[in-house]
Amino acid sequence: MKCLPVICTAVLSVLFALQGCSTTSSPSRASTVIEQGESLPGQPANHPGQPASARTDVAYATPATVTHQPAAVVALLKQAEGQANAGELDAAAASLERAIRIDPRNPLLWYHLATIRLSQENPAQAEQLASKSNSLAPGNYVQQSRGWLLIAAARRQQNNVAGAASAEQRARELAAH
Amino acid sequence: MAKRRSRGRKKTRRKQARRRPGSSWWLRLLLLLVVVLAAYVVYLDYQVRHQFDGKRWSLPARVYARPLELYAGKPLTAEQFVTELKSLHYRPVVAPRTAGQFSRNVNRFQLISRAFDFWDGREPPVNVRLQFSAGRLTALTDAASGSAISLLRLDPVLVGSFYPAHIEDRVLLKLDEVPVSLTDALIVIEDRDFYSHHGVSPSGVARALLANIRAGGVVQGGSTLTQQLVKNFFLSSERSLVRKFNEAIMSLLLEWHYDKDDILEAYLNEVYLGQDGNRAIHGFGLASHFYFERPLAELSVDQYALLVGMVKGPSYYNPRRHPQRALARRNLVLEVMADLQLISADEAARAKARPLGMSARQRVAINTFPAFLELVRRQLQRDYRDEDITSDGLSIFTTLDPQVQWQLEGVLGTRLAQLERDRGMQANTLEGAAVVTSVPGGEVLALAGGRDPDFAGFNRALDARRQVGSLLKPAVYLTALEQAGHYTLATLLDDSPLTFTARNGAVWEPDNYDKVSHGEVPLYQALAHSYNISTARLGLDLGIDTIIDTLRRLGVEQSLKPYPSLVLGAVEMSPLQVAHMYQTFASGGFRTPVRAITAVLAADKTPLQRYPLTVQSAIKPTADFLVNTAMRLAAREGTGRGMYQLLPDSLDVAGKTGTTDNLRDSWFAGFTDERLGVVWIGRDDNKSSGLTGASGALRVWSDLFARFNHGDQVPPVIEGIEFQQIDPGSGLLADSGCPDAVQLPFITGSAPQSYAACARGKRGLPDPVDWFKELFQ
Repeated sequence: MKCLPVICTAVLSVLFALQGCSTTSSPSRASTVIEQGESLPGQPANHPGQPASARTDVAYATPATVTHQPAAVVALLKQAEGQANAGELDAAAASLERAIRIDPRNPLLWYHLATIRLSQENPAQAEQLASKSNSLAPGNYVQQSRGWLLIAAARRQQNNVAGAASAEQRARELAAH
Repeated sequence: MAKRRSRGRKKTRRKQARRRPGSSWWLRLLLLLVVVLAAYVVYLDYQVRHQFDGKRWSLPARVYARPLELYAGKPLTAEQFVTELKSLHYRPVVAPRTAGQFSRNVNRFQLISRAFDFWDGREPPVNVRLQFSAGRLTALTDAASGSAISLLRLDPVLVGSFYPAHIEDRVLLKLDEVPVSLTDALIVIEDRDFYSHHGVSPSGVARALLANIRAGGVVQGGSTLTQQLVKNFFLSSERSLVRKFNEAIMSLLLEWHYDKDDILEAYLNEVYLGQDGNRAIHGFGLASHFYFERPLAELSVDQYALLVGMVKGPSYYNPRRHPQRALARRNLVLEVMADLQLISADEAARAKARPLGMSARQRVAINTFPAFLELVRRQLQRDYRDEDITSDGLSIFTTLDPQVQWQLEGVLGTRLAQLERDRGMQANTLEGAAVVTSVPGGEVLALAGGRDPDFAGFNRALDARRQVGSLLKPAVYLTALEQAGHYTLATLLDDSPLTFTARNGAVWEPDNYDKVSHGEVPLYQALAHSYNISTARLGLDLGIDTIIDTLRRLGVEQSLKPYPSLVLGAVEMSPLQVAHMYQTFASGGFRTPVRAITAVLAADKTPLQRYPLTVQSAIKPTADFLVNTAMRLAAREGTGRGMYQLLPDSLDVAGKTGTTDNLRDSWFAGFTDERLGVVWIGRDDNKSSGLTGASGALRVWSDLFARFNHGDQVPPVIEGIEFQQIDPGSGLLADSGCPDAVQLPFITGSAPQSYAACARGKRGLPDPVDWFKELFQ
């Protein structure tokens, strides 16, 4: 899922624009939520649902996307990213928990913890963590859409087909906002 | 075992000697002896290999506090930082040169951190500069390059250990973790031929004999390090020829099977070096902590020399009890080291000039925070057997924040004594318990089981089940607010006198604390002022079973009887259980199990188990936001308002007092967006404490929260909530015409539609706010 820098830049700018559309007041610490190498919210996303082995790369954060975050949180996100890519999922989760202790209202951290749990085949917890992430991202439709896609994948892993479909529907609606 | 065997052998010999007399009997006997001896050696060989290959020592589990995370922007004062460094036994110096040292210049620090094996990897040592300002760590930079360091994790404070019944303690070291100068000194003093002998050393015995004759008494032992190890490791301390024989054979066997480094490493960990109450101090690793409060690698040469010198007689040369003897012995060791050119003469002279340098502490408290450790033990017991906990050398990483724990212990003791003095009570009448958790992760930061923090007995935070009184009310109001079509914060509740007759004829007449009924009151005020009658009416309208269902979602697990009095808190809970319930309110409606442990490592530092952060959606965030708003109003202007005498106005607190009949229990549960605290005060004999929630527990809670570093206050933003001006008298919409208007949140679409009588809009007068709006339309 590695993408060329040009494509990444394009994806980033589209998503920034999308985020700009949101009119609801957003919290002062709302995070930019764009990741390198991810599909656009609303498009059929197979990323969150796939087991870790099927993924070639996980990119959590780049300085460009999270420069306004505390440096400690950025460092931990990068560390978690490296650990996840090395298949050290427990360690990646531990790094994200450290980051959550520092910045507990950052929806991005909870979201990535959810993706780790999904990769660890714990879809029930992945779904809960994703909805926690969404509850911390009011007005941030891009992030919420991603959260719903992850919830959809988690529900699918639990054979909840109808629930997955309705979650995908939510994701599409939010992405279209 | 060996003794019994040898006795049996003698018997056999006698029997056989009687049965088979003859000229060659002695030959047969000799043969038999050889066979028996060979069998015996094989038996000893089994013993040696079995024990040496297997788990050599029972190691207690070590319990660590949370590591202090350092990063620019962290709320932390320079004083708190120093307290943490002191409890980690970092040493203040002029210029730090090795790990475990720091220097301070007012608000600027330089520090070399220690390496540490965490559950998620090793934290390397770093040489850093830190700067504090206005209650924060403002800069963290690499001391060499000056570049910013984003994050640094200090080694965690060791808060206790779980020991088996016989307390034998050690800090295991690998040979390469032991400074070479220490092993050199040890070999020179105790066993010069160590690297050349095969377990026993005739020349060593001869040299010892000579030295002893010269001195006219025992000044040197002839035992090799191997023999000393065998003696301590496999044999009893009795002095007999049989034991001496076993010792020699086993030493030869040990040398036969294992190389010198294995034997030396075992020796360094086994050697007995002192006594701490009923805890035996074994090995150089623990001795270093016990005598000098730092890891072995951080000791100076004079300190090594002292420990090496003490091997000969840890009690006789105990530096705390016999400093003169210990000093002489240490200096003798240093002289020998200089003679053999392990150190230079200059170095020896400098080292000899130094004082003994032990820590002043006479006795190390084995477990610093017994109440918290009890919680850790109980959580461990779900996954481990007792013997694993006390003997497998586990490292247990907990959530304890020592800073919060010290603050809690301080304020609880002080405030209880103050309350007793103010009320003319006899000292030590009141007891208290408290729990502090982190809101986002449900991590137990501190726990007090009673007012004496060092008492390891009855743990009230875990085991005192007391009526919770009004602490239960938020669950009732939450149940109502979840039904947005029927109830909002502005809904008027009936607080007029109530007589309820149950089906069995029992009559229930709840009364308000002030014995006054308040007529119609808006829902948020009924909770903020903790009115009983309106709550009882509300609870009966909602149905007790519905409320029980809410309590279950909030994580209340004990059996609940569906009596109407439940809504006014006729339920017994421990402070920890209350914390668990309030955790869900505090964390946006997500239930997070209260955890004291984050991870467990095996003795070889491989991760055994993680206790991850988990969340479970339990209440809709919107309804949670509403009930928290009412609890915020309780703190601002209701029963909890006393707290703002101590707390900054900018701090947002939601909380609830609890008081039970006859003032038996005084409770307060309150939270910011970072921390949740639950405090209980009462008496062990269950008599009246004379305290309400506000006059007792709230005071302790406020003292405590006034000491915390609160981060930036970010008002929570919740989707699906809108704000409206409300006239509290009527519960209807208000505008600038209403003098008492309050702004209240509503689940979108649930706000009242009509205006109160006071509203200008209703009388056709334009509202100034509306003019303003028109400008932009």
